Order: sequence, then structure tokens, then C-alpha cells
Amino acid sequence: MSTLSLVVWIIAYPIIIFCIGVLLGGYERKFSARVERRIGPSWIQPFYDVIKLMSKKTNVSHGYMHDVAILMLLGGTLLTLYFVPVPGFTYFSQFGDFLVISYLLLIPSLGMALGVGETANPNGSIGISRALQMLAGYEVPFILTFIGVAMKEQTTSMLDIIHIQQAGGFWAWGLIAHPLLGVAALIALQGMLNEKPFEVIVAPHEIATGPMTEMGGKYLGIMFIQHLIAVPLELTLYINLFLGGASSWLEYLVKLFVLWTALISVNMVFGRFRVDSAVKFMWKISLPLAALGVIGIMLNIA
Amino acid sequence: MSTSMLLILPLAGFLTSLAAAWIVPASSKARASGTVQKFIAGIGFTALFVFAFLAKGEIGTGYLGIPLFGLWANFGLTQLSWYFVAMVAGITLVTVLFSLQGLRDDGRYSFYYVWLFSKTFGMLGVLLSADMLTFFIMWEVMSWCTYFLLQQGHEKAKRAGAGYLVYAVTAGMILLAGLLYMYFNVGSFDFRTIQAAFSGFDAGRIIVAMLLVLVPMLIEAAAYPVHWWLPSAYANAETGISAYLAAISTRIGIYGMTMFLFAGFGLTALNLVTANKYVSANEVLMIIGAFTMVVPTFTALFQHDAKELMTWHSIGQGGYMIVGIASSTTLGIAGGLFHVFNHMTYVSLILFSIAAVEYRTGTTNLNKLGGLIKKQPVAYLGLLFGIIGLAGIPPMNGFVSKWLIYRALILSGHPFIALAAFIATLGTILSVYKLIHNMFLGQLPERYNDIKEVGWGMRLPIIFMMAVVWLTGAFPGTVLAVVADIQQSLGLEPIAYSAHGVAAEMGQLNMLVINIVFIGGLFVSWLIYHAGGKRKHIGQYDNYAAGHFLDKSIPYNYNYNFYAGMDHIFERALHKPPVKRAEQALAAFVSGMSEYVRRIFTGNITTYAAYVVAAVVVILLVLGGGR
Repeated sequence: MSTLSLVVWIIAYPIIIFCIGVLLGGYERKFSARVERRIGPSWIQPFYDVIKLMSKKTNVSHGYMHDVAILMLLGGTLLTLYFVPVPGFTYFSQFGDFLVISYLLLIPSLGMALGVGETANPNGSIGISRALQMLAGYEVPFILTFIGVAMKEQTTSMLDIIHIQQAGGFWAWGLIAHPLLGVAALIALQGMLNEKPFEVIVAPHEIATGPMTEMGGKYLGIMFIQHLIAVPLELTLYINLFLGGASSWLEYLVKLFVLWTALISVNMVFGRFRVDSAVKFMWKISLPLAALGVIGIMLNIA
Repeated sequence: MSTSMLLILPLAGFLTSLAAAWIVPASSKARASGTVQKFIAGIGFTALFVFAFLAKGEIGTGYLGIPLFGLWANFGLTQLSWYFVAMVAGITLVTVLFSLQGLRDDGRYSFYYVWLFSKTFGMLGVLLSADMLTFFIMWEVMSWCTYFLLQQGHEKAKRAGAGYLVYAVTAGMILLAGLLYMYFNVGSFDFRTIQAAFSGFDAGRIIVAMLLVLVPMLIEAAAYPVHWWLPSAYANAETGISAYLAAISTRIGIYGMTMFLFAGFGLTALNLVTANKYVSANEVLMIIGAFTMVVPTFTALFQHDAKELMTWHSIGQGGYMIVGIASSTTLGIAGGLFHVFNHMTYVSLILFSIAAVEYRTGTTNLNKLGGLIKKQPVAYLGLLFGIIGLAGIPPMNGFVSKWLIYRALILSGHPFIALAAFIATLGTILSVYKLIHNMFLGQLPERYNDIKEVGWGMRLPIIFMMAVVWLTGAFPGTVLAVVADIQQSLGLEPIAYSAHGVAAEMGQLNMLVINIVFIGGLFVSWLIYHAGGKRKHIGQYDNYAAGHFLDKSIPYNYNYNFYAGMDHIFERALHKPPVKRAEQALAAFVSGMSEYVRRIFTGNITTYAAYVVAAVVVILLVLGGGR
């Protein structure tokens, strides 16, 4: 990769992902509207929301950590993004494997948690408490599925895992080759994306939108931008691990929208779990599935 | 020459500070005595630090013999022991510098530096000893000095210290048995002679000998299920001392484990005799390590005291070291040894920050603090850097060692041990957020409105440790170079490191790139942030309260029982921990037995006379029966 194309990619990559995020977000709102027999907002409504929030004149903050946290939130997400390989841009994958990605993903959560803590609002703190408990819920099965795949292929590099799947064709896709792991990770992904029935963090009817209670103006705007980048980012992780990655942007977009449709369809028909029920669901359903898958792989190797 | 100074200096420091403590003993002169002792400690530990680094040139040469009861006590420096010696010298110096201002001269800590010197002497003695007998003697010195050090402070500390002593004496007795067992089998105390003789032994003798030396090491390293002495002992000690003990003292057990496994008698020999299809010796150790990681970390989640929470983590982090070293792979051993250093840096940083808060507020109760970020920003930043390291999140140093351990576990085919490591990390993230939230974030209670930041004497050590935690995260090669030397000297394959991480043939990790991309990401975020409207800072009572008006009479905070959902899930396991119940049952049994023994001593002179007569009769019968 030449220096020029590297620089172009570095600048363009977050912008492209943001645009995809806007489309995914608009699609979700359109989809839920149609299910509820409404017309729904425009396809790029999330973009209008961001513009509106960023141009607010009143931006109140509770202190310096509140300001820094917003930067950590978006900065950490951008950092993670560069390490996730997509078709045509895999430069940073040589400096960090999947383990690095999964830990970089924690930086935005930590940043948000610290900022919300400083707002001194108990609704926010409860939201963070729930978010962290949920993190412990979904991350355990998700990591175990990755451990299984990595042990099978004897590599922790995401790029290698994609190459192995692409070399083997459709039957080598993670979801097909290790169906138990694929399903377990899918359930965990639902929690990671904070979709129902695991939508315990924001919970507008209970805790006044949780972490976002004291966020307004450009602070909320940056949280929206982060969310729009994080959704395609987390979907891409699943695509790369279990759906054979993507060799072209068209294939990538198709996989993104198919996966996203599946997840938001589940979101539409469920209510919200209680916090401990959500965590228990992850540990009692998703984790044993992943564990069975891993035991299967171990028996295969031995 | 420098090696001998490592033993002479702490001993000299011990004697001079003891003299200072005795010459100016009266409580009215406590301040003067304290100043003299602080002066001696400052000079002494600075010199020790210098000599520790000078001693690097003497590794492997210059064995030092001291005559002792007709035998020779042998001391020498190896690559492995130098790594630990350097850490002991470094962290002791930082602790002492912190205590110059952090320790209040109220007369309760009159022997603080005396025992700190002697404890350092014991630890360095253990690290330098080149034969089993010296190792044992120094081990006992170290344990007793830990006990005396724990005793500095209030009543509760004295009782908790006694709890430590029970475990330490048990460990010492097992080690003594191991020493004698080896001596009667080999006829020598020298490590190298024992090692050479052991390769020819049968399975039973190898297993017994290894058990007798490894169990004391695991007790000292507070491995599950012999970890219960640690939390109460360290949490009740003076905060600087708990930082020091958690950072390095417990890790002497890790040193002993590594030495006995790899330099002493060989994990290979042990694996050979215990190998079967299902489990081998190193896997047993890894399982112990996995429990040590997970159980204490989740216990930490529900603590209400900052120091107690951290002491549970100090146990849990030891689990990573045990797992990494026991995995006996290149990456795992490197990760385990590197983790000792990383843990030392961030755990002392965290406890220094807690000490700074305690210094001003007088409490470490997590349910009573809050909102201190506005009052003590430096302590807040110290704690933030520390917890990022502890949780193993990039870009701090804790991530690098954890990454090495995870990768080693996954690639060597131990998925469930790797999962345990991840679960422990998640538990860590949850509990450290509770720690920082309940102390520094949320609502500031009215009674802390006049609090000020601590002085520069405490701020500078915190800032220095922050720099260490970050820089060794960005440039892990500096420490990994020493670790690679250790692996080389133990006859293992050394880790292929680069200045910024791990070389490409052993995986992909470049911490400098991560740092640069992160800074770039922050810059872009700042540009977007800056593009928005002007921000305005508001007070804590200017807040959303669903239509109510807030003022200082209304507590508007969420910190009690922070993880209610988790509490619900772990209710049974937490409130009746099986290990604690077993320990209590044993204690009840022993005290019940002691009650019977006590009845022998009635205090009545005629009863004692009857005992004497009875004893004489028994002796006569035995002797007569012999004929």
C-alpha cells in the first residue's frame, strides 16, 4: 500500500463507516416504523439529528472529566475502528490482533462511564452500573467463541481468520463450520449492540435514559456520532469472525444489512429483561453453547 | 561488592533507625524521632536503589559466603533474582518517598522504618540466597518482619497481623520439612547440587519435595484457597505499607515458585512423573491460578472499603502470574514475569491515590466518599491511570502482560483457563469503576467542601508512578529485555520482543502505534468537539431530578450496593464462601481443643503436684516395663 493511498484511507475510512452507520440507523427507524404501521422518518434522519445537536447554543457540562470523557468516547471508538480490517484497508491489523481490538473496545465504555459519573446524577450512575454488568454478561460468551476459533486456527490475528475462511469458501465460514459458536456469538452481539431484550442501559421508562440523562447539545451529538460508528464496527467484528469477512465493499454492505436486519427483527418483538435476568440469560444460554462448541473443537484437535 | 551492600545497607538502616526510635522514644518527641527516622530512611533506601542497579554487573559471579553456626550461608545474584531485587529496591524507595509526607507523626508508627528496613533485609536475603538453608532462614526473617510491619497502627491491625502469622508460620514449617527432606535425600543444601541430584530421583520423591516447597510459595503468594490471611492483614495496615506489601512482598512467593519450577528442580521432571492423558502438574497449578484470578476478583466487587477492595485485587492479579508462569510457554512465562512488574507499578499507584484521599478525609469507606475529583484532581488522575493498568486496558502497561498471557493460553490449547482470565478482567473492570466512581465521581458530600489536594511530597510520587505505568505501556521492550534475559538464563526460549511490544514472529502487538492512533483519535474528536458551541460548566445541584429542585440537604447519589444485579446473582456464593467456612470450622476446632488443654492448667498447686506424681509413676512404669 503506497503512502498516498494509506493517507487517503486513514482520512476516508471513519467517514465511510459513519455514512454506513447513518444508513443503518435510518434503516432501523424505518424498519420499526413499518412494523408498527407508521411511515417513519427519513433514511438519513440520524444525520439530521447529529447536525441539530452539534449546532445547539447551550452546552452544559459538569466539569473537565465530563469534557474529556466525550473525547475518550469518540477517540477510543476511532482507535478501535482502525484495527478492524475491512475490504481494501488492513494496514493497522499488523500492529494488533483480535485481543487488542476487544480491549480497545473498552476504552469508549470507560470514557463514557467516567464522564457520566462526573455528572453526579444517580440515573446516569445506575445506567453505567447496568452497562458494566451487561458488559460482563455478553463479553464472556463472545470472548469464548473467539477463543474457540483462535484455538482451532492457531492464530489470534483477525486477518488470518478472515483469510482462512475465504480460502475455504462458504463451508469454512465460522457460522457454518462452528455453528454453536456462531449462534452463541450472535446472542452476545445482540447484547453488545444494546438491542432488546438486552436493552437495559438506556431504559427510558425506568432511569430517564440512563447515561444520557445529563448529556445535551454537542455532548449528546458526539455520543450519537460514536453510536453510529460503533454499530457497523461491532457488526463487522461478527462478519469477520463468523461470516467469512468480505472481499469487496458490495459483499460487505450486503452482509452488514442482512445481519442488521436479523438483529433489529429480534429487537422488535421483545420487551426488556431485568438486569440480572439479562446477565443470567447470557451466562446460562449463550455461554454453555459456546462452551459446547469449544469442547467440540478440543475433541477434534485431540 | 554491590551484592553484599544489598544485605549490609538494610541491616545498617535497621540498626540506626532502631537507635533513633529508642533514643527519642517519648510520644511528645514523636515528631523529632519521626524526622530523624525519615531522614535515615530517605538516605538508606536511595543508596540501596543505586546499589541494586550497580549489582547488575555482578550477576552470576561473586558468591558470598557467611559463616553461620558452623555452616556457610551462601548468597549470590542470578538474572531472576536481580529482576526482583531491582523491583524491591525501586518500590521501597518510592514508598519511602511517599511516606515522608504521607505518614503522620502521631506516635503510632514509631517503628515504621525500623521494620521496613528489616523487612527489606529479609526479602533481599530470600532473593539472594543460594542454598536451601539460607533461603529458609531469610524466609523466616521476612515473615516475622512482615508481622511486625503489619502491627504498626491501630488495634484492628494487630489482630489481623496475628492472622497473617498463623499462615506464615504454617508456610515456614512446611518449608522446613521440605528443607530437611531434601537434605536427607541429597546430603547438601546447595541449590545446584540438589537440582543435579533430583533428575535421578523416582516419581514419589520428586512429588513430595515439590509439594513441600511449592505450597509455602503459594501461601505467600496468597493463591486460592490459602488466600484468606491477605485481605484483612493488608487492608488494616497503614496505606503506604499496604501498597508496599501488595506490590512486592506477596510476589516473593512468585519468585520462589518460578525458581523452584525452572531454576530449582524443574517443571520438566515434575511433568514427566505426573504426565498422563488428562492432567499434568503444570495444569494443576494453572487451575489453582484460575481460581485465584476469578474468585477474589468477584469478591472485590462487593467490598465497601477502598483498601479492602484493592487487597482482593492484589490476590486476583497474582493468579495471572501463576497461570502465566505455570503455562511454561515462552509467551506465558514472559507475561507472568512482566505482570509482576506491571502489578507492582499500578497497585502502588492506586494505593498511593487512596492514601492521598485518606490523608485528607480520614476514611476509605466507599459509601461515605464521592465527588472528590473537584478537590483532589491529581489523586484522581493517579487512580485513573492505575485502574486502566489494573483492568488491562491499552495503552497502560497492564495490557501488555495480560495480552501475552491470553495469547499463550489460547495457543497452547487451554481455552477455559483463558476464559477465566477474561472473566477476571471483566470483574476487575466492574470493581475498579465502582472504586473510582464512589471515591471521586458522583455527588460531593457537604462535609468535604473544604478539602484541599495533598502536598507535593505526595503528589510527586503519584505523578512519577503515572509516568511509569504509561511509559512502560508504550515501551514495554525496556522491561521485556530483562525478562528475555531471565528466560535465557533459565534455559528457556526467550521472548522475541521489540521496543514497542512483541516482535512479529510471536504475534502482533505494537503499543506505540496504539498510542499514536489513540492520540490521533482524541485530536479528531477534539476538533469535532471544538466545532460545536461554547460549553458552560455548572454545579452539581444544577441537575435533572424529574421536576424536583436539588439543594445540599438532598443526598442525590447512587453508590451503595453499586452492582445490585450481580449481588442478586452471586448472593449465595458470596455471603457464605466455602473456604471461609472451612477456615472458621478449623479455628473453632482448634480453639475447642485448646479449651481442653487449658483445663490441665487449673492454677491449683495440689493438681500440679498430682501431675508430677503421675508423671513419675508413668516414667517408672515405662522404664521398668523395658527391663
